[in-house]
Amino acid sequence: MSDNIIFGIEVLMNGLMAGVLYALVALGFVLIYKASGIFNYAQGVMALFSALTLVGIMQGQVPFAHLINAALGTDLHHFGWHVPAVLAILLTMAIMVLLAFCVQKFVFRHLVNQEPIILFMATIGLAYFLEGFGDLMWGSEIKKMSVGLPQGGSFWIEENTQWMGLGNENFFGFFLDKLDLVATVIAIVLVVVLVLFSQYTKQGRAMRAVADDHQAALSVGISLNFIWVMVWSVAGFVALVAGIVWGTKSGVQFSLSLIALKALPVLMLGGFTSIPGAIVGGLIIGVGEKLFEFSIGPMVGGATENWFAYVLALLFLVFRPQGLFGEKIIERV
Amino acid sequence: MNLAQTSQATEGLASVPALLKRNATQYASKAAYREKEYGIWQTWSWAEAEQEIESLALGLLNLGVKEGDFIAIAGRNRPHFYWSMVAAQCVGAIPVPVYQDNAADEMAYVLEHCGARFVIAQDQEQVDKVIDVQESLHQFEHMIYLDPRGMRKYDHHKLHQFSHVQEQGRAARDEFMGDLDERRAKLTYDSTCVMLYTSGTTGKPKGVVLSNRNVIESAKNACEFDGLNAQDEILAYLPMAWVGDFIFSVGQSYWSGFCVNCPESAATMMTDLREIGPTYYFAPPRVFETQLTDVMIRMEDASKLKYRMFHHFMAHAKRVGGDILDGKPVGFMDRLKYSLGDMLVYGPLKDTLGFGRVRVGYTAGEAIGPEIFEFYRSLGINLKQLYGQTEATVFITIQPDGEVRADTVGVPAPGVEIKIEDNGEIFYRSPGTFVEYYKNPESTASTKDPEGWVATGDAGFFEEGSGHLRIIDRAKDVGKLTDGSMFAPKYVENKLKFFPDILEAVLFGNGRDRCVAFINIDLTAVGNWAERNNVAYASYQELAGHPRVLQSIKGHIEAVNKSVAQDPMLSGCQVHRFLILHKELDADDGEMTRTRKVRRAVVADKFSDLIEGLYAGLPEISTTTEVTYEDGRKGSISANLSLLDTEVVAISAQKVAAE
Amino acid sequence: MNDVSTDSYVTADGRTIGPTVMEMRNITLRFGGVKAITDISFDIREGEIRAIIGPNGAGKSSMLNVISGFYVPQEGEVWYKGKKRPQMKPYEVARQGIARTFQNIALFEGMSVLDNVMTGRIRQMKTGLFAQAIWKGKAEAEEMANREAVERIIDFLEIQHIRKTPVSRLPYGLKKRVELARALAAEPSILLLDEPMAGMNVEEKEDMSRFILDANDEFGTTIALIEHDMGVVMDLSDRVVVMDYGKKIGDGTPDEVINNQAVIDAYLGVAHD
Repeated sequence: MSDNIIFGIEVLMNGLMAGVLYALVALGFVLIYKASGIFNYAQGVMALFSALTLVGIMQGQVPFAHLINAALGTDLHHFGWHVPAVLAILLTMAIMVLLAFCVQKFVFRHLVNQEPIILFMATIGLAYFLEGFGDLMWGSEIKKMSVGLPQGGSFWIEENTQWMGLGNENFFGFFLDKLDLVATVIAIVLVVVLVLFSQYTKQGRAMRAVADDHQAALSVGISLNFIWVMVWSVAGFVALVAGIVWGTKSGVQFSLSLIALKALPVLMLGGFTSIPGAIVGGLIIGVGEKLFEFSIGPMVGGATENWFAYVLALLFLVFRPQGLFGEKIIERV
Repeated sequence: MNLAQTSQATEGLASVPALLKRNATQYASKAAYREKEYGIWQTWSWAEAEQEIESLALGLLNLGVKEGDFIAIAGRNRPHFYWSMVAAQCVGAIPVPVYQDNAADEMAYVLEHCGARFVIAQDQEQVDKVIDVQESLHQFEHMIYLDPRGMRKYDHHKLHQFSHVQEQGRAARDEFMGDLDERRAKLTYDSTCVMLYTSGTTGKPKGVVLSNRNVIESAKNACEFDGLNAQDEILAYLPMAWVGDFIFSVGQSYWSGFCVNCPESAATMMTDLREIGPTYYFAPPRVFETQLTDVMIRMEDASKLKYRMFHHFMAHAKRVGGDILDGKPVGFMDRLKYSLGDMLVYGPLKDTLGFGRVRVGYTAGEAIGPEIFEFYRSLGINLKQLYGQTEATVFITIQPDGEVRADTVGVPAPGVEIKIEDNGEIFYRSPGTFVEYYKNPESTASTKDPEGWVATGDAGFFEEGSGHLRIIDRAKDVGKLTDGSMFAPKYVENKLKFFPDILEAVLFGNGRDRCVAFINIDLTAVGNWAERNNVAYASYQELAGHPRVLQSIKGHIEAVNKSVAQDPMLSGCQVHRFLILHKELDADDGEMTRTRKVRRAVVADKFSDLIEGLYAGLPEISTTTEVTYEDGRKGSISANLSLLDTEVVAISAQKVAAE
Repeated sequence: MNDVSTDSYVTADGRTIGPTVMEMRNITLRFGGVKAITDISFDIREGEIRAIIGPNGAGKSSMLNVISGFYVPQEGEVWYKGKKRPQMKPYEVARQGIARTFQNIALFEGMSVLDNVMTGRIRQMKTGLFAQAIWKGKAEAEEMANREAVERIIDFLEIQHIRKTPVSRLPYGLKKRVELARALAAEPSILLLDEPMAGMNVEEKEDMSRFILDANDEFGTTIALIEHDMGVVMDLSDRVVVMDYGKKIGDGTPDEVINNQAVIDAYLGVAHD
């Protein structure tokens, strides 16, 4: 096989991996949007916040250290212990549930039956609040996430795919990051769990019911508050997973919250209400931008990855506004 | 020699209860009945079915059923009602299934006519009907109902729940078992198996008495003809009072031991059909038509790729599908493409329709459109036609595999003799020939002669070469032209009506030297054509008189003439002249029945001037006709009509005299 | 008339009407300054079909919303099964066994008929989330039992043929029936029907009447319904409350009510315009 084809395949596979990560973030959006009609701008920041919290707990960081030191003149930074990853993840999850509860209790409970744009504005507010709150709590320096996910190129894959070069001497097997593989597995498991949850559990059915009709849900005995807290918790859980994976890949830093912006075109492709849409949309964007950069990029001066996704989304907005899997938008006159 | 008197029961299987006993031993654990209830298919094996039937039979004895009693059964296809029929037979009574959608007075007629002492009814609706009329029923005593819903408040002196009757039967087993065995043993090949009322189009329904011989011989012959066996599956969804359902779901099922599947409700029939995937299937033409229309509508909504693929492969199937099914030689590449089509289109389509497993399928009752028939056959579904009657225990003629066509009804079924009288009327004699019309010796005598020949009332002829029977019309509508050749108006009219432009056609010629026709154009189809061709018109009358319309109808008639001329028997029926009527035939004017059947005599009388004009060879005629408007007001319309000649195919004289 | 009944009696058609199960005491409901309901009291007895009738704007729907907890009255008390009901959220009322339908149909449009009716049984689903994940057998058994109950309702209302159809594709009359199915699936102590016949043709009305009567007869469900078709109400109900301009102007059997002069004046008088 020629170098170009081999390299193309490698690009394709790396694109798939990136796509999985986009899908992961988009999934959080879809969940909240479906159940409550809220477009949660803060989803990216939630991922950042959960990653910060996780790292902070693991390293035994003292929360609000700056504040405490400034107020009391102390010089606290660390408790001096290290929390094992599993326990830290559970603790972080608990904090995300607490966050979901607070978000519902202090913000959205007071905004029931408001216009979608108002709810959206509220999530922007929430995003900035959470960003600042995260900084204040855990500090703003870049942190390294290491919860034990494998990283680096997989030699096993390289060695075992070398034969595929069919005698091409420049080919040493495909290069794939182990983290990407793990992320893919995690994403698949997550999606399966979410689908099982929403289709086959009482709470999942209740969640779909609330997404569909509030009055009807109330009349069969479903507490809207409970469901919304649950939905925000699930979104928090998805954010945590995304935070762990992205954090491990490129460090826990402010730019992590910007992945939310990459999730936007994914949603436009997949539709805001479709879980499979989020996944397929993520994969298309991931593969599309990598392949585009590889094949067309050199001709237009490169760096196409910055804008490819948005242009693709724009095309979709023009020709198929409901996305690939979204419900058809029919305006009632 | 009368065949009906010679056949003897095989291995002592002289009654349906005897067959049940054999099946309960031979196929003990094999499924006999299935019914979808509460969303789940429930199954009864033959052994279980025997238990159910026995408890019910004992329960019936407990209620005092005597030998020779009539037990009416009013319900939709449910295992319990099939059990009821067999249980009735076990105790020497005669089951009389009645149409469940009959109105109370129609049901009253049947119940009174047979003097039913017992009624087994499905639910409150059926029970209410009987209660409404019970005052006038002299023999009626007890009613058994299946579905207790809404029945709690009813007076239960003469009303019993099905399951309670069975329970009481089980409780009284010791007391009645001897009696039951004795009564079962008394059943012979000549005992009455069932009585079915024919929905007479004229007059009151007649009770057709069928013996065990009729039912078992017919079932046996038909099973052997198509190689049906215990592994087959059918879906029982046609009315239980119809002879076909009795033969398929009782006769053939008991003979060969196959399983009868009952749908959850009438509305779920299509879903249930898909889930069961029967191997042996019957439906009247209209069911096939509806399904085809549904497919076509869904295809219109399908994606472009699907739509193209569907039409591409269907065109291929139309070309070779029928031949492959008939085992005729087909090229390798065509076969390969057909297999691909089967994978992509035919297979999935058959599964959606519920025909994925159909080995033998039949349609009958009326003419099926050739293109509909070919559509199903080209998919690889072995759909065939048969011709039958209640009085024949269904089978008169039947199409063998490999000899299937849209325009014939096949060869005489096994054991059936057929003769055709001079006037074209078809007569048959068979082991299935009915015993008598109950309490109606005159009708029996006028239908069945002492030698056992039964008049069908249909006219037809055997095609030379293939030996297939072709039905052309009701015998009473068939006449003769002056040269003695056959005049079969409906045969020609049906051919004309296959053209979408022609809504109705009326052929005249009985007692004349040649045939002429009235045509009604289809306003939708012709109006469509007019719009596309910029032909302006203001009314039906104007469009009907348009020269281009006349020319196009002339073309259709000439095409039909050509096709009619190919049948030596019927070539005299070619249309020599025609006109397009200035008004649509209308039920309000008495020209049609409410079911849209042309009243030939009324039309002939009302438009006698036009008929004379056609025969006189006039090129044009003016006429005035009285019409009734929708609000009941009367008015009249006048018109000048063009009378046109059409080309006919010359026929040699000797061909006319067939038989 | 507002005394709580503790005795039972048998109706002419053989149904047993039990003691009072719910009692409204001096309910007053205001929206801002507008009084929707003024000082109304009445009771609902176990096993009966209780109708609330009145011209448009009489406050019938408001009354139903008070019973089902969607509105909180400013004055008055609701007594349920012998206890005064504290202020409750609608979902809490539903969990107490009070199911309802809506005048304008509130179904889960995106779900199938089966899922809609299954959702009606949320009250009967006891297994917790983690139990469902870990203890699969128990959850499955519970799901099966619920499914069976739901299938009986589906059979009862004759909607087997649309079991798997998304609700959004159904015609109006069938949607009404699915909504009734969902409410019945909850096995409610009291079933509230908000204009069950609204917008239906004659045949659909007859079907719905039959289902309501049968549900009451077969399951012994206590039913309170709002209707403004007098004919339907008179045929269906055991006792009728008549409202006009938010006030109660009559209460009794259909015969009593129809001969009540105040009812004739108010109801027929309003019906004219």
